[in-house]
Amino acid sequence: MRAFSLLATLAASATAALAATVQYDFSVEWIQANPDGDYDRELIGINGQWPPPPIKCNIHDRVIVNVTNNLGNEPTAIHFHGLFMNGTNAMDGPVGVTQCPVPPGSNIIYNFTVEQPGMYWYHSHFGGQYPDGLRAPFIVYDKDEPFAGQYDEDTYLTVSDYYHQSIPWLTANKFLTLINPTGAEPIPDAALFNDSQNIKFNVEPNKTYKIRIVNVGALVSQYIWFEDHDFKIVEVDGIYVEPTDASMLYITVAQRYTILLTTKNSTDQNYPMISSFDTDMLDKLPEDLVWNVTGWLTYDENAAFPEPALIDQYDFYDDFNLVPVEKELPYEPDYSITVDVSMQNLGNGVNYAFFDELSYVAPNVPTLYTVMSSGNDSTDATIYGSNTHTYVLGYQEVIEIVLNSKDPGKHPFHLHGHVFQVIERSEASPDDNSFLVYDPANPGTVNEYPMRRDTVYVRPNGYFVIRFKSDNPGVWFFHCHIEWHLAQGLALTLVEAPAEIQSKQVIPEDHYAACKAGGYAYEGNAAGNTVNLFDLKGEKLQPKPLPAGFTARGIVAMVFSCISAFVGMGFITWYGLSDLKTTEREVAEVMGESLDDSDASK
Amino acid sequence: MYQNIFNVSIFFIVFRETLEASVVVSVLLAFIKQGVGKSADDPTVYKKLVRHIWIGAGLGFLICLVVGGAFIGTWYTLGTDIWGASEDLWEGILSIIAAIIISIMGLALLRLNKMKEKWRVKIAKALEQSNIRGKGWFRHFTRKYAMAILPFITVLREGVEAIVFVGGVSISSSAKAFPLPVVCGLAAGSVVGYILYKGGDFMKIQYFLIVATCFLYLVASGLFSKGVWSFQNHEWVKAVGSDVSEEGDGPGSYDIRKNLWHVNCCNGETSGGWMIFNAILGWENSATYGSVISYNLYWLTLMMTVGLMLFKERHGHYPFLKFWTKKRNAAPLAQEEQKSPENEIQQFGSSDESRETKEALVSVV
Repeated sequence: MRAFSLLATLAASATAALAATVQYDFSVEWIQANPDGDYDRELIGINGQWPPPPIKCNIHDRVIVNVTNNLGNEPTAIHFHGLFMNGTNAMDGPVGVTQCPVPPGSNIIYNFTVEQPGMYWYHSHFGGQYPDGLRAPFIVYDKDEPFAGQYDEDTYLTVSDYYHQSIPWLTANKFLTLINPTGAEPIPDAALFNDSQNIKFNVEPNKTYKIRIVNVGALVSQYIWFEDHDFKIVEVDGIYVEPTDASMLYITVAQRYTILLTTKNSTDQNYPMISSFDTDMLDKLPEDLVWNVTGWLTYDENAAFPEPALIDQYDFYDDFNLVPVEKELPYEPDYSITVDVSMQNLGNGVNYAFFDELSYVAPNVPTLYTVMSSGNDSTDATIYGSNTHTYVLGYQEVIEIVLNSKDPGKHPFHLHGHVFQVIERSEASPDDNSFLVYDPANPGTVNEYPMRRDTVYVRPNGYFVIRFKSDNPGVWFFHCHIEWHLAQGLALTLVEAPAEIQSKQVIPEDHYAACKAGGYAYEGNAAGNTVNLFDLKGEKLQPKPLPAGFTARGIVAMVFSCISAFVGMGFITWYGLSDLKTTEREVAEVMGESLDDSDASK
Repeated sequence: MYQNIFNVSIFFIVFRETLEASVVVSVLLAFIKQGVGKSADDPTVYKKLVRHIWIGAGLGFLICLVVGGAFIGTWYTLGTDIWGASEDLWEGILSIIAAIIISIMGLALLRLNKMKEKWRVKIAKALEQSNIRGKGWFRHFTRKYAMAILPFITVLREGVEAIVFVGGVSISSSAKAFPLPVVCGLAAGSVVGYILYKGGDFMKIQYFLIVATCFLYLVASGLFSKGVWSFQNHEWVKAVGSDVSEEGDGPGSYDIRKNLWHVNCCNGETSGGWMIFNAILGWENSATYGSVISYNLYWLTLMMTVGLMLFKERHGHYPFLKFWTKKRNAAPLAQEEQKSPENEIQQFGSSDESRETKEALVSVV
């Protein structure tokens, strides 16, 4: 045993010796830009440029990103989507989970090693900030990839939806307000290819291009195809798969697909490449919305650039059927979590999103910092708060998440710190009022070697089942990656092996310094209580539910109104019955006078 | 909704005017039954005078129909459909107008006998012997056909009033909501006039009138409350946009900030039996502060009004206005005489007739 571990250590340090350190200094600031040519606005860029620069490194490299917040008016934080951050949970990035927001003027250093090959991306994880511009690819090169040498060029492509208004403004005025009781997500204003439109992708004939594709949008899944060109899918979310032929991809926000595309023999034409919104996900389709974005595989700059052809239906490849290169049989679960997804209105009239009855509300102290300051109580989920929906997981177990959706929308769910096996994913239910629920006694289709990735979508009113190994101690967020739904609280927290986190990991001082600079609490339970971890007074909770039926004041109002009506009718009756002697008297008066008149006139 | 075929305001306007006209006709009929115009002596004279009355009334009515039809017809062809998008706004306005009209008219019902007396006096004075002004065939004509001219002018006047009022309130009502309330108003007014003519047990009539008036005011208060509710609903629909209709009875179909009670059922706008509750009492499954407060304020105002009217009846003046009222009453009644158009009709008859009139006045029940 000792010999083996010695050997392993030697091997590791040998690899480490070959690995480089890649350093980035990011100044996060507002940049003026106009990606769709329609609207000039400020977007969040880095080091004076927008779109922000991609991060590139080789597998096993150490990456150090020194982020300074020069926005002036908003805090920030950066999450490196898809990277495991094994042993360095504090570098994961989501605010309220592993760190405080970094206030304007402060900085934070993300320092981690990358042990995974493939395509990833980095983006802001503060509020709904990243659609305001702070997102870009994170590319990890691997000279030992299974298809090494099978392509001529390694490039990337981003697709995105795009809003003209800023996210904080949209959230406060259009989305999370009581005048939006159905929770309709704001409609994007445009679709983008590489943060632009009508791009020309220069290609040479008879070459194979490795194209890493990532959807960096906020809401809409997209269909991507290249006219007259098929391709092979070779990697998804950092997992190599057996090369699979396809002609169209369906890519949700946050997902990545890497494809090998072989160009044609001749250079006489250019071919459109199209990315098209999944318009099912939009509440309504405004007349002026162009929901496709076009580019061209450019063989010849001087040839024509034809308009894309209309197609009848979307014939995309279902990623459920991809087979990983490193094949695994389905895990047997040790611990299972089952949650229902739904959207409901709470007492302030606003529409929120729920896992079961809980809508996620960030705690006063980031959950990881609670782990670090809670000693032996770290395994009791209570201390992490009533609205963080926290599950404490054991170390080196197989965890299963069963997600039953009671919502007619499609939702892409993402698990931080892991990839998971996609065991089952149901079809959509036949109509809006019926739901498909996972029944372990009657399982659906399970592939022999289940597909693995870190972001997977559930179909309307359907379910999915995922399994992963809890071999990465840390606090990991599990949430819908539609930014609007995350704002509505569609998230839960997994505290994985808290004792291991305490003994093996350290929070760097600059992370705590950012908390102090912003006046945020960084010790104690979810309420910030360092003395009694089970006293949660002062914690943030979701709004009260809507009153069901008559409240006390409603009953009072009703009773009072009835009394008014009855007393009023009493007055009417009194008036009706009161005597009419006055009328007789009037008549007599008039008669008397007129008698006098007529007598007088004679 | 029922408002598509039955406009409540139109019903009440037509009802009131018909009532007043039929009171006049019934008083006239009662007079000649008592013998005014020498009818007691001669049955043929009686029949002639009865015919005069009906011809006069009928002619007036016919002219009203023609003028009214033409007026309303042009009104509708010229007018545009403003019902459209601000449905709640128009509903609110119409409800409040209807509530006001009913309220003003309602209490008069309970003084129906008083109205009858007023007319008795007026008509008696009109039939009184007094200085005959003017000469020639016109005077002769009016003398001969006084019994026809009086109802003719009354019916015409009431009818024109009705047409003008109806034109005013029907500005945003659909043309379909027109015929039914007019017919019902005419029928109801005639029936009540007939009851008055027949006399009968005064107390029984009064009880019936009290119950009818209570019912009327329940409807009116409900309408008033619904009017305010409609205004608030209009604001909410404008703020949210088109999604409100999707929400049915559930969350999002109402403004939680202004809401006093809400139940996810029993919707007075859409579900069966509750619609009747809504029509009669103004029930809403989702009540606002505005709708409930206005309901209570309406009853309060009504109670105060009744109180004031009772006070006036008992003491001859409103509270605290004793001095001012006396001053007003000092002006000669001659002013009243001059205002009344009946006096433009030449008086006829002899002193005998004048005596008959007075006798009839005191003996007509």
